[in-house]
Amino acid sequence: MIHIFDGAMGTMLQAGGLQPGACPELMNIEHPEVVRAVHEAYIDAGATIIETNTFGASPLKLDHYGLTDRMAELNAAAVKIAKAAAAERAKVAGSMGPTGRFIEPLGDLDFEEAYGAFKAQAKALAEAGADYIIIETCIDIQEMRAALLAVHDVAPQTPVICQLSYSEDGRTVTGTDPQSAAIILEAMGADVIGVNCSLGPEQLVPIVKTLAANCRVPISVQPNAGLPHLENGKTVFPMSPADFGHWGPALLDAGATYLGGCCGTTPAHIRALAKSVSHLPEPRRATQEEPRRLWLASRSRSVCIDKDLPPQLIGERINPTGRKKLAAEIKTGSLLVVKKEAVNQVKAGANLLDVNMGVAGIDEAAAMQRAVKEIAQLTDVPLAVDTGDAKALEAGLRAYPGRALVNSVTCEPNRIRDFLPLAKKYGAAILCLPIAEDGVQKTAEKRLATQKRIIAAAKEAGLKDGDFLLDALVMTISADAGAAQEVLRTLQLYRQELGYPSTMGLSNVSFGLPNRPLINSTFFAMCLAAGLDAPIMNPYDEAMQNAFLAGKALIGKDPCGLDYSRTAVNMAAPQKAATAKPSNLDTLSALKQAVIDGEKDAVPELVDKAVKEGHSTNEITAKALTAAMTDIGVDFGAGRMFLPQVLLSAETMRAAFDRLKVLLPASTEATKGTFVIATVKGDVHDLGKNITGALLANSGYQLVDLGKDVDSETIVREAIARDADIVGLAALMTTTMVQIDKVIADLRAAGCQAKVMVGGAAVTQEYADSAGADAYAADGVKAVELADELLAQKKN
Amino acid sequence: MHVAASLQQSLSPNTIKVIPMPIYNPALPFIDTKETRRYAGLARAENFAEQRIIEACEDARLLATPRGCYEIYDYDCENQMIAADPLTHIIGEKIGAHLQGCDKVIVLAVTVGPGIENESSACFQRGEYSHGQLLDAAATTAVEQLADSLEDLLRPRAAAQSYRMRWRFSPGYGDWPLEQQPELLRLTGAERIGVHLTDSLMLDPQKSVTAIIGLYHDTPQAASAPHTKAGCASCNKLDCPSRQV
Repeated sequence: MIHIFDGAMGTMLQAGGLQPGACPELMNIEHPEVVRAVHEAYIDAGATIIETNTFGASPLKLDHYGLTDRMAELNAAAVKIAKAAAAERAKVAGSMGPTGRFIEPLGDLDFEEAYGAFKAQAKALAEAGADYIIIETCIDIQEMRAALLAVHDVAPQTPVICQLSYSEDGRTVTGTDPQSAAIILEAMGADVIGVNCSLGPEQLVPIVKTLAANCRVPISVQPNAGLPHLENGKTVFPMSPADFGHWGPALLDAGATYLGGCCGTTPAHIRALAKSVSHLPEPRRATQEEPRRLWLASRSRSVCIDKDLPPQLIGERINPTGRKKLAAEIKTGSLLVVKKEAVNQVKAGANLLDVNMGVAGIDEAAAMQRAVKEIAQLTDVPLAVDTGDAKALEAGLRAYPGRALVNSVTCEPNRIRDFLPLAKKYGAAILCLPIAEDGVQKTAEKRLATQKRIIAAAKEAGLKDGDFLLDALVMTISADAGAAQEVLRTLQLYRQELGYPSTMGLSNVSFGLPNRPLINSTFFAMCLAAGLDAPIMNPYDEAMQNAFLAGKALIGKDPCGLDYSRTAVNMAAPQKAATAKPSNLDTLSALKQAVIDGEKDAVPELVDKAVKEGHSTNEITAKALTAAMTDIGVDFGAGRMFLPQVLLSAETMRAAFDRLKVLLPASTEATKGTFVIATVKGDVHDLGKNITGALLANSGYQLVDLGKDVDSETIVREAIARDADIVGLAALMTTTMVQIDKVIADLRAAGCQAKVMVGGAAVTQEYADSAGADAYAADGVKAVELADELLAQKKN
Repeated sequence: MHVAASLQQSLSPNTIKVIPMPIYNPALPFIDTKETRRYAGLARAENFAEQRIIEACEDARLLATPRGCYEIYDYDCENQMIAADPLTHIIGEKIGAHLQGCDKVIVLAVTVGPGIENESSACFQRGEYSHGQLLDAAATTAVEQLADSLEDLLRPRAAAQSYRMRWRFSPGYGDWPLEQQPELLRLTGAERIGVHLTDSLMLDPQKSVTAIIGLYHDTPQAASAPHTKAGCASCNKLDCPSRQV
């Protein structure tokens, strides 16, 4: 059946007397006749579903007008007006718009606060008798999830229409693509999925197509009347009713059966739209005839696991079991390592990430919630929530702005009882593990039988085909010689009997054996052949990655071995030599060149060689290290070398000095002089000071770094106490530069004999002169050069 | 259909009750390596290992805690006055010219948090100078990306009311004095995202940006105003290694 929504309401309310800045929903009480007239105009134009005047009637939005306490009243009144206008001619959809704020971590709104607000509004709308609830114009999938959960909790019988708004790049502003939206929302039980606002009908056709191709529920679309412009001081939407109506058949053909209008549309637009599709049949949706596949989705990316597709890697590293350091870090509340593992596993090729926060003695639910939130902000691969604790599972699923995988559901009564309803509620898929009341199932037949029981229970709980990933359950061969064989048989049996995709954690197979990578990777290849679709593994494991690459090619999931060839060619490429390039240079020249090239790893060996050849520290310093710095200074000044390269050279120099200190400790004490450096008071930028300090410290100066935001008193005291030869002052901004004058005056007043060098983005030679500085360094390299000159002056 | 975005997601400030100003913490799915190269002063370097840049960008991404907030105000371009409470006068001829023809302004603040700059300093302590400097450049890139993300968020909303956006302008650009930084912090409510001002008017964390974006209708008068993106051309530091020619 084709349904016709109404069009814009705001402009019509304004025409009916709504003042700019006033609360539109208050019209439901103060001028119900105006609201009713809008509804009637749309119904007369052919709308079969009208939306209540409640887009902004959530407690959070009404707060802007101080009307929160009238929330229920305003919503109920709106439904009453709409129903009266509709009589039997149209259905009434209770409209809920976004809160206007972003949910954490995208914003400062707590998920539960958003959920609570939607719940209150949905309750008011449903109790007043709305036929549908429509959640619309959302740009954040997480807000849509909060609203959908809320409606399901208070009005489980009311069908829900979920419409996001997409930008011109085909994604919502927060990055969600229509495919992921369709997957996430259908799994959560949305009754209609759609799109409204932002764009005109032409731009929405491809979005409707994508939505229609990725779910089976009806699709809705409510475009704007084109993209607006200004005419005589007014915002005008350019599309005429006829132009707008013209797009009806195309939207229908793209798969939408709920059609309407958004900003800039009027009853005339709706009339044209209704007329344009009235004689047309409903579109045929291919998805309704295809078997359901297992799709998982993050906020911005979807992944399919199925037998005809290349296997997808599930990264197993975010798991503190047996990893003491990770467990300890999670216990302290830090997630830095967890985040690193997330990013690095994705880089190493993981298509999904398993997240396990099972550390004894912590609040696992809170840890899971935080980890899921943070990882979802950092990577776009879908997540598996891995826990045995129902509270942690719910915390993870609730926080996840996508469709997650539940790891895992066994046939044990408490898992069936607690986990399945959560999977259903949050639209998650489940990893089914063949463990029953009596424990691990040993034979393939028993595993299959257990899986059948889990699936039957899951279907009873409302899950469907496309929600299941079957674990073949790997046991260790050192305990049971037939364990691996049984896994292979299990995979084959699953495929023959059930057809759902399969998974397993592989590494357990080799427990207790030497050279585990060999066993693991060999077993992996065998499993791929037997039908493994989603291995849970360590993506950094080279042997496994190689087996994966070769295995994929052998089972025909890497057509013509293309991926394999590309990677294998790369692997075969000669590795860059880690040590110094062979050259005809003598040792000191080679050392000098290594410093210039920033080849830190090559340096210790060269220093050793130089010492062995009998060169003194002074000789090595003068002929190799200082000489290198001089060349670097020249190249830098001439624009042939750049700052990061100079710093690499300084690091290399440091490595050389460190090595020298080890080899010839007594002879490396002498320095050119003492350099006290600081960023002046009020200035918190210390990069420039750090760079200059690094170069000086590696050019023979004894560096005393006082840090940033250092007051004059401290600088003077330290300069005198350390008998500084030179004091270096850095200031980045005009607002802090004046401190330089003060420090110099104080130094002189205290009788300090040190030369003063100044620098920083805002400082100029003129300024340095007027402040009485001895030198102005435009950059760190220049500072080293000037320091040498100042010292020479001092000695004369 | 809903009471259109033109009313509910109104660009106009609320006149009835003070509402919490919007916070938006954009994700940082990547940090642009090309920009990081430029900020590191490597724009013209031919043989600097890309791997070092990639590592700095990845580390910076892990250490970042991106946050952002903004507010939209009516603006009187003749008197350079922002209709906030209290009214805020925008000082400077260049900024005045830049906002000519605008009747609303977006003020925004973004930050990557203190994590990256702390690690950068720690790198220098450990002798990892190059990585420390590259982290700093990656943080600069990241905070600009966050400001871009805020613009991406607001552009369609502005377009829904047929507004277009001028390029963003920050205190210290041209003749817009840094002394107006306190006003920008107040107008954006930046303390809510952990951005503060030191006594010497520096943003803390350092890798934070405040800016103003003029909104104008695409009319002939507005079109005559100088609003092509000047970027580096508006800055007087001609010897800056990151300057784009």
